[in-house]
Amino acid sequence: MSPGPVLDVRNVSVRFGGVAAVRDVSLQLRDREVVGLIGPNGAGKSSLLGALGGQIAVASGQVLLGGQDITAAPPYRRARLGVARTFQHTSTFDGLTVYENLLVSALGAQGSGLRGSLAGGRARRQRLAVAAEATWSRLREFELADMADRYGAELSGGQRRLVEIMRCLMRSPRVLLLDEPMVGVAPHLVQRIQADCARIRDSGVAVIIVEHALEVVEAVCDRVVVMASGQVVAQASYAEAMSSGAVREAYFA
Amino acid sequence: MSFYASTLIVYFFVDVLLAWALNLQFGWGGIPNFALIMFQAAGAYAAAVVSLGPDTGVNSFQRYVFGASLPFPLPLVIAALTGGLLAAVAGSFSLRRMRRDYQAAILLIVSLIAIQVVSNAVGLLNGSNGLTGVPRPLSGLLSGLTYDGYQWVYAAWAGAIALAVYLLVARLGRSTWGRALRAVRDDEDAAATIGLNPLGLRMQAFVLGGVIAGLSGGLLVEFLAAWSPAAWGYAETFAVFTAIILGGVGNIWGVALGTLLVQVIFLQVPTFLPQVGYTGLIDALQWVLIGTLWLVCLAIRPRGLIPARRYHAVPPAPGPGTGNPR
Amino acid sequence: MLILQALGFGVVSAALIAIGAMGFTLQFGLTNVLNISYGGVMTVGAFAAFGAGELHLPMALEVAAAPLAAALLTWLLGRTLFAFYARRGAGVFEMVMVTLAVSLILQYGIDAASGEQIYRFSFPQGASLHAGVFTFTVTQLVLVALALAVFGGLEFLLRRTRLGKALRAMAVEPRLARTCGIPTGKIVNVVWLLSGALAGLAGLGYVINSLTIDASVGTGFLPLVLAAAILGRAGSTRGAVLAALLLGLVTEEVAAAGGAEYSTVAGFGILAIVLLTRPAALAGQATAKAEITV
Ligand SMILES: Nc1ncnc2c1ncn2[C@@H]1O[C@H](COP(=O)(O)OP(=O)(O)OP(=O)(O)O)[C@@H](O)[C@H]1O
Ligand SMILES: [Mg+2]
Repeated sequence: MSPGPVLDVRNVSVRFGGVAAVRDVSLQLRDREVVGLIGPNGAGKSSLLGALGGQIAVASGQVLLGGQDITAAPPYRRARLGVARTFQHTSTFDGLTVYENLLVSALGAQGSGLRGSLAGGRARRQRLAVAAEATWSRLREFELADMADRYGAELSGGQRRLVEIMRCLMRSPRVLLLDEPMVGVAPHLVQRIQADCARIRDSGVAVIIVEHALEVVEAVCDRVVVMASGQVVAQASYAEAMSSGAVREAYFA
Repeated sequence: MSFYASTLIVYFFVDVLLAWALNLQFGWGGIPNFALIMFQAAGAYAAAVVSLGPDTGVNSFQRYVFGASLPFPLPLVIAALTGGLLAAVAGSFSLRRMRRDYQAAILLIVSLIAIQVVSNAVGLLNGSNGLTGVPRPLSGLLSGLTYDGYQWVYAAWAGAIALAVYLLVARLGRSTWGRALRAVRDDEDAAATIGLNPLGLRMQAFVLGGVIAGLSGGLLVEFLAAWSPAAWGYAETFAVFTAIILGGVGNIWGVALGTLLVQVIFLQVPTFLPQVGYTGLIDALQWVLIGTLWLVCLAIRPRGLIPARRYHAVPPAPGPGTGNPR
Repeated sequence: MLILQALGFGVVSAALIAIGAMGFTLQFGLTNVLNISYGGVMTVGAFAAFGAGELHLPMALEVAAAPLAAALLTWLLGRTLFAFYARRGAGVFEMVMVTLAVSLILQYGIDAASGEQIYRFSFPQGASLHAGVFTFTVTQLVLVALALAVFGGLEFLLRRTRLGKALRAMAVEPRLARTCGIPTGKIVNVVWLLSGALAGLAGLGYVINSLTIDASVGTGFLPLVLAAAILGRAGSTRGAVLAALLLGLVTEEVAAAGGAEYSTVAGFGILAIVLLTRPAALAGQATAKAEITV
């Protein structure tokens, strides 16, 4: 592993027409670290994740992944370099089954090429078998094996969230960005995801979680970044941040 | 009777090619290709002009470009390539990320304008009168056959092509590529986060569909020996949409069934009935009915007669119940 | 010289496109239904005027017949058929298909009823007026003035009246508008009627200018209207007018330069170039989750 931060965000700004949604934000994410990104509604959290994932173009600033500048890379290329993310809105593939949602992620771009998937051959079958194996073990791990054949459209809100997170994990990312992953998830599964976040971190992944439920943030995050009106107002441990005047002001101003 | 039957069979195979092309683009790729018929027309015109002799300009009753008298099966190959090439061009600006109704409107505009160009630019493809006298393939070699016999040979040939395309699209639909394409259809942003290139996948589907549509045009024009702007209005595209949605979008057999019902039984059979009223009255009323049929079909059976098949995952040997970790 | 004169023609066609595009974009911006049947409705409007003319009704009635018939038809369609599918949860694409079906029914219904004929549309063109190299007929000037009046009227309605402000609020935030007690049902009615009336006027203007009428006039004119509405961004009357001006001038200039058959292509070329070079113009609209309000 490289000694520097795995994700280095330098002076990033995002604008929507006249609205400055993210203003000059800098932060660093190290390996094996879970960072909570919190702040009131409209603070710019999702916009920042969009800038990191490539869905939203930055107005200025740089994003570096393992020292490599990815500011101009489109989302799919960032994904191939190891950035995985979920969205605030549900984004399961509704016309695919749960199993397929995960399988398509496990196969990724290499496994989905037109030529490769038309030509037969051992290599292709081998790859499929590996992906299927990984998919099944992931499904069992999350106790969703008996839902394998459900369409995405047939799932509950919480189940969809779970599938979205599992879909990210199929890719063994270096950086995982989760936008409000617990919304609509049943309490026992929240515990589950919390435990998984810790496990994911220990397996060498750096995680940013945007979350309104502060007890979740307290439980899983090594430190928090507090945003308000597009700016970072505090970067500290959870306890420190909560006792800071600036954070109170951000939430209650 | 035999003549009607063979003609209808050729139409069915041609239409089913077009429907599979749309199923690939729209059913799996989510691209609302309202310009579909333009790609068939491109193939038809391409096959027509390269199989006609050079346009000498003197005492010819029709004017066109690229006359080359190419022998069978080169015109068909060129038809397919033209359809694919045109799809690549149209796709270059219409496939990027945008609302699906915008995309539909833009493709519709492309198609409507293409008709205006071809109709008005007479020197290009003989304008609104269209091209006639397209040589029928291998008519020299098969000159021993009766007219009726030739029709049946052609029907068999069209069937062989349809079979080949069926094998291709069935394989594509089952493939990992097809699954990735459907992922892009369902949520393009999420598809990108797992490393899929949405624009690239959609472009591949669009061009493949263009190739198949172009091929269908070549096959049809060599059978009809004529082609004109009247053959490819937006209504024809609408009919293909109605066919695949009625049959079941995403299901190759459903799409074929829809084609049989809408394109052949509903649209073609009445053309062999005795004429009622003035020329064109039945045609016009048919389109009114197709529009109504779609409205009814969307209201009562939006997923079609044979819905897309669910993928059943087979768990590995120990079974999902046993060996549960943790 | 020809190039200069074509500017004059360009302004006239721009006026026609603008009238159509303003009605289209107003309705699209509010309801989120990309209404392809707009073309068919333009044809209906033109035929209503044609029918009134055949019956030798006074000219005022003949002119009024087009917007009236078209407004009524659009309102009916919007409130019954489109509303029916919207209630059943049709998405934006299904709604386009529904309007396309209606377009097909209108066009071919008229086709069947009119015996598939192309008719002469006679309408007094008035004296020819000369100003420098430009020549306009009185009727053409009236069309241009009409377009300006419609633009001015809509701007006034949208920016100065309570109804217009409520309408703009509703286009941006339909759910919020409803909870704020804005009479959304009434506004939707107004928009369908207004957009239909403008479709009728555009259809009438088109046949006045071309002097012939058949069942496909509206669908033939639709691409330019649609292109102007898309270029000008959904819901923006100013954008629609500017885009119409651009399209009108370019198509007529290309025609004057000797490429009559390519004039609409040139207009379309603009759309393609904008799509290629300024995808942001559409991207904002792409990401918004469109809510259909009919
Ligand atoms: N696509 C967009 N177009 C225009 N403005 C936007 C867009 N997306 C976000 N904004 C604006 O940017 C600002 C930041 O929004 P963002 O969604 O990033 O906030 P957030 O912190 O994620 O809020 P929440 O907790 O509600 O999800 C807000 O003022 C919002 O209105
Ligand atoms: Mg957010």
